[in-house]
Amino acid sequence: MGSAASSDPKLSHTAAMILQAINAGCIYGFSVMEMTGLPSGTVYPAMRRLERDDLIRSHWEKQSIADAEQRPPRKYYRLTAAGKSTLEASRKRYPLLERLIPSEEAKSV
Amino acid sequence: MKRLFAAAPCALNLSLLCCASLAVPGAQRAEWWREWRSELWHVRRACASSDGIVWRTECEILAFCLGAFQDAWCLRRHARRNSPRAPLHGSAVQCLLFLAALLAASYALAFLLPEVRIARHPWRSAAKSGLILVEEQGQDGPSKAAISFDRYRDWSTHQHRYFDGFAFYRMGREEVTAGSGPPSRWRLAMSSANLFTLLGFPIQFAGGDDGADGSLPRMVLSYKLWRNEFGGNPGIVGSLVRIGRRQVKIVGVAADRVWKLPGQPDAWLLEPDIAILGAGAGHIIAHLTRQGRAEMWADRVNITVYNADHSEQDYLGTAIGEHTPGPWDIYRFAALLALLALPAITSVSLGEYSVSAHRPPWPRRILRWMYLAAKFTLLLPIAYFVSLDCSYWHASQQTAASEYAQLFSTFVICLFGIRWALLDQRRRCPVCLKRVAHPAQVGLASRTFLAWNGTELICTGGHTLLHVPSLPTSWFGTQRWLYLDASWEFLFAGTDAG
Repeated sequence: MGSAASSDPKLSHTAAMILQAINAGCIYGFSVMEMTGLPSGTVYPAMRRLERDDLIRSHWEKQSIADAEQRPPRKYYRLTAAGKSTLEASRKRYPLLERLIPSEEAKSV
Repeated sequence: MKRLFAAAPCALNLSLLCCASLAVPGAQRAEWWREWRSELWHVRRACASSDGIVWRTECEILAFCLGAFQDAWCLRRHARRNSPRAPLHGSAVQCLLFLAALLAASYALAFLLPEVRIARHPWRSAAKSGLILVEEQGQDGPSKAAISFDRYRDWSTHQHRYFDGFAFYRMGREEVTAGSGPPSRWRLAMSSANLFTLLGFPIQFAGGDDGADGSLPRMVLSYKLWRNEFGGNPGIVGSLVRIGRRQVKIVGVAADRVWKLPGQPDAWLLEPDIAILGAGAGHIIAHLTRQGRAEMWADRVNITVYNADHSEQDYLGTAIGEHTPGPWDIYRFAALLALLALPAITSVSLGEYSVSAHRPPWPRRILRWMYLAAKFTLLLPIAYFVSLDCSYWHASQQTAASEYAQLFSTFVICLFGIRWALLDQRRRCPVCLKRVAHPAQVGLASRTFLAWNGTELICTGGHTLLHVPSLPTSWFGTQRWLYLDASWEFLFAGTDAG
């Protein structure tokens, strides 16, 4: 997996699928699993690698929101600017990616 | 009950996550645990069924939890890869320290486990050398008592050129009353007073013999009887027991499993010669003089006795215990077997072939040999103590099973230990003794164009490059060292040159 700093980062198909899923609005681990059909043992390590490479960023949900809904707080992920440009490059490399996981913009169209 | 069944999978899932969290580096563990716990809660809610336990759902949740191990392991691997390497990493000193720690641990275990401690000090080492058990020629085996007490008294009262000591014992069953309890039947060895002195067997808790009751017959209890009948109480030594109407004094406890002579007595009654006089044959133990030992052939000696009526009687003396291999003998045999088998699993060469005529200076070469010798010096005792720990931790008695276990474990440890030592030596830079790393596979392209297929490894100190062929050929059969000249130094500036 290439780093964000490199000029032409190349992602594996799995990592590209996860990026695409996060971009499509699956912003926590379990939803990424459901969307991609990948097992937890693949999704969570891959998301940690993507975060290390600054392609995604995570943050914890506010405790008050979770308390109001009587559930534990979740860790949410979102794409960084580098992640978005890498995803663009990955879409060219894997043309079927968008068909597999349509992004929010594509859904609204 | 239904609630319990519903709670069990939750507990199982949480315990799996808890186990996986142990692999996560400490700094990240709290957040990792929080995320997985939260996700589990949501997974469970998403998969929850109102019908109680649905096995398919539970299997999905279980599969989700098992993924935590993969995640934890990835985090651990990443942390390890990025942690700063210690200065000793990959060095010869680190290797020797590891072996020394292993040796210390195996020795400590052998020292602490009582069963192993006993096995290390078998009866052979407790017995004096030059002792023989005398039996009549032509007898089936030494277990049958066949020598009369008169014969013993005759021998022990005369001076001999070949013997300087005799002891006698005869097995029998007697009613013994200890304290106020009911009498019980013990297997007693009625022995001459010098039996334990002659054999050199240790008597535990001895010392209660020098009181006012010194005239009483003395009794030494077997370890087994002492444990079973008296609960291992050392205070029993010095007390009196009754055999029939006679009172005898307990003077000690025989060390465990030292007695390997015919008969398995519960106790030894040590009496003056005159008191043993009576019917029944027994066994004679003799101690050979230097001349007597010179007459031994293998572990046997023939003894001819001339009777008063000028007739001859032949006896056979068998060395006591000397034919029984102890743990040390088994270890030596297995180590020898491992050495013989070594060429079958690895090349015994050290692969010190150089591409050029360059050779490292003498002190470096001597250091390299000393390192190899140090590895062997540490490996061999490790094999001895680890094999003892593995084979005798549950049974100090030298049974056939424990002997085979020791033989096998010693053989395996020696064989693969020496193999590792040789492989390690071949991968050590001859200049700095650090392991050469960073392998570069030279594969298909080279094979096609350069007729070369193998691995190249470079020393992190910038001293050497190692070529290892994948397929040994007639012109490149073994690994070769390429000594790097000063022009390479700039590449390794800042690294420890060792």
